Amino acid sequence: MAPKRSAREPTPSSATTAQISSTGAGSVPVVPSSKKAASANQSPQDIALGIWKNYLDATPQRTKLIDVFMSFLVVVGVLQFVYCVIAGNYPFNAFLSGFSATVGQFVLTASLRIQTNVENKAEFSSVSPERAFADYVFGSLILHFFCVNFIN
Amino acid sequence: MRWILSFLLLGLLAVVQAASSSGNKLLVVLEELAEKSKYSKYLGDLEARGFEITFESPKSDKVALFELGARAYDHLLILPAKSKGLGPQLTPKLLLDFINAGGNILLTLSSSTPTQSALISLLLELDIHLPTDRTALVVDHFNYDTISAAEQHDVVLLPRPDAVRSDLKNFFKGAGKGGEAIAFPRGVGQTLGNNSPLLTPLLRAPRTAYSYNPKDDVEGVEDPFAVGQQLSLITTMQARNSARFTVIGSSEMLEDAWFGAKVQRSQGLSGAAASKEIKTSNQEFAKEVTGWTFNEIGVLKVGKIEHHLNEGEAADQVINPKIYRVKNDITYKIELSEYQWDRWVAFNPEAGDDLQLEFSMLSPFHRLPLKLIYTTTNSTIWTTSFKAPDQHGIFNFKVNYKRPFLSNIEEKNTVTVRHFAHDEWPRSWVISGAWPWISGIAVTVVGWTAFVALWLWSKPVPLKLTTSGKKVV
Repeated sequence: MAPKRSAREPTPSSATTAQISSTGAGSVPVVPSSKKAASANQSPQDIALGIWKNYLDATPQRTKLIDVFMSFLVVVGVLQFVYCVIAGNYPFNAFLSGFSATVGQFVLTASLRIQTNVENKAEFSSVSPERAFADYVFGSLILHFFCVNFIN
Repeated sequence: MRWILSFLLLGLLAVVQAASSSGNKLLVVLEELAEKSKYSKYLGDLEARGFEITFESPKSDKVALFELGARAYDHLLILPAKSKGLGPQLTPKLLLDFINAGGNILLTLSSSTPTQSALISLLLELDIHLPTDRTALVVDHFNYDTISAAEQHDVVLLPRPDAVRSDLKNFFKGAGKGGEAIAFPRGVGQTLGNNSPLLTPLLRAPRTAYSYNPKDDVEGVEDPFAVGQQLSLITTMQARNSARFTVIGSSEMLEDAWFGAKVQRSQGLSGAAASKEIKTSNQEFAKEVTGWTFNEIGVLKVGKIEHHLNEGEAADQVINPKIYRVKNDITYKIELSEYQWDRWVAFNPEAGDDLQLEFSMLSPFHRLPLKLIYTTTNSTIWTTSFKAPDQHGIFNFKVNYKRPFLSNIEEKNTVTVRHFAHDEWPRSWVISGAWPWISGIAVTVVGWTAFVALWLWSKPVPLKLTTSGKKVV
């Protein structure tokens, strides 16, 4: 079930990240490459490419998954807002609940990303990634319940 | 069913009494009972219409408008008296109390007997002004009776009065044929203040009339009290409680001598030759004026008032509910009757006049014309339908119909207008405008489910690596 869902994800990058991440688990300590990029004179394109490469190499697969989902939420939220600006806000409660669903989901996902990021391990020593994920699921379900209720 | 029965009973009662719509006890105040014979035709007419007449002299101890604090008579007719005062029972305050208690007063003045100061101050209270010369009378050198006042010109001949406004009923036009003459002999003209909306002149003097005092007979009249149509010869006042007060400037016009007397109009302004002799229509006109004053004509009555929801099945609708919802469709009905001499008839306003319904909370949110839908033998039924405003609160159905010469109608029915209940709003999918945002929520939820599935499916990062990764940073 789960792999099928991932194939349906509109962003092709998720597929590639999944592929990379399978090897990426081993390539996390490739951080030195960023040091190497900073040393020489490079065009902005190269710098952007370098950052992108470094991101792909240094980020754990689950964090990348979170990033993909968050960018997806941004796109959906912006689309709803633009529609509201163009077509008007009637019925306003529908706009509020639709828009706040994406915003709320974005905030919840961002906090999941902070809590599960390996680099913040020291700050959240009492919160295991499993606990963080359980909190996240609980919070999201409440959010969805609220939004569906509010749109009536 | 019951209200039809009560209507029948009421109708029977009306037939039995066959008089005014507000009782038939009439007190006539005149100084000497011998004077009765002067007004025998007029008083005979009143008795024939079913009035129970009590005669009292203003000096007598038995004159009392109130008995044990309640009104002792329904109507009061004051004929001019020669005495200086009217006694302690007919003070302006008591007369006003009588009006406030719903009693009707017909007051007659005469230029031959000076008006008592009690009556003058009563009239002033009502914003009706009399000439300062107590013996002043109205003369007209163009519209006088050549038979009885060829020299003095103090018997003014008038046609039947027109309606005050074109959209008002004219109760005083008689048969409406025209060519009739009302004799107004030696009367006192009044002027009316501008501030009282309750005053209406019933009969105005002709354009060429003026008020003057024959005692100071000098060449020409300087600075007359009032001229032309400023002078009101018969003035009416209808109080807010619909009690009626009429001042007839000339008591003589009610006397037998002028009922059906022969008169001949003088040469008019147009220079036309004097017309032939005609009979005065004083008797018919006096009947109309008195009938109006004593609530025999121009009295309106509200019958049933009904309002209900105008949505869905007609059968399961509550009549006159206490509560409505905002944006409900509501229908309102009101039944009106008019009293005409001895019975209630269907009321129809003059063309151009509208009956209106207000749906108001402090100020009206709707002011709608009521439409006639049904006419019964003795009433008309008026209706209108509207949508309740998008505002909750305590509202009134209000019919406020106040016209000169018609008794006042002010009907208020209070209802509550509530807002939508939680389950009365349309569901989101019913509103097509909400579809983009519904799909927004759906996409978010589906995306979240996919994310959770992928998260659970993906392999957790080994702890050892993370620590080593952190070390590198």
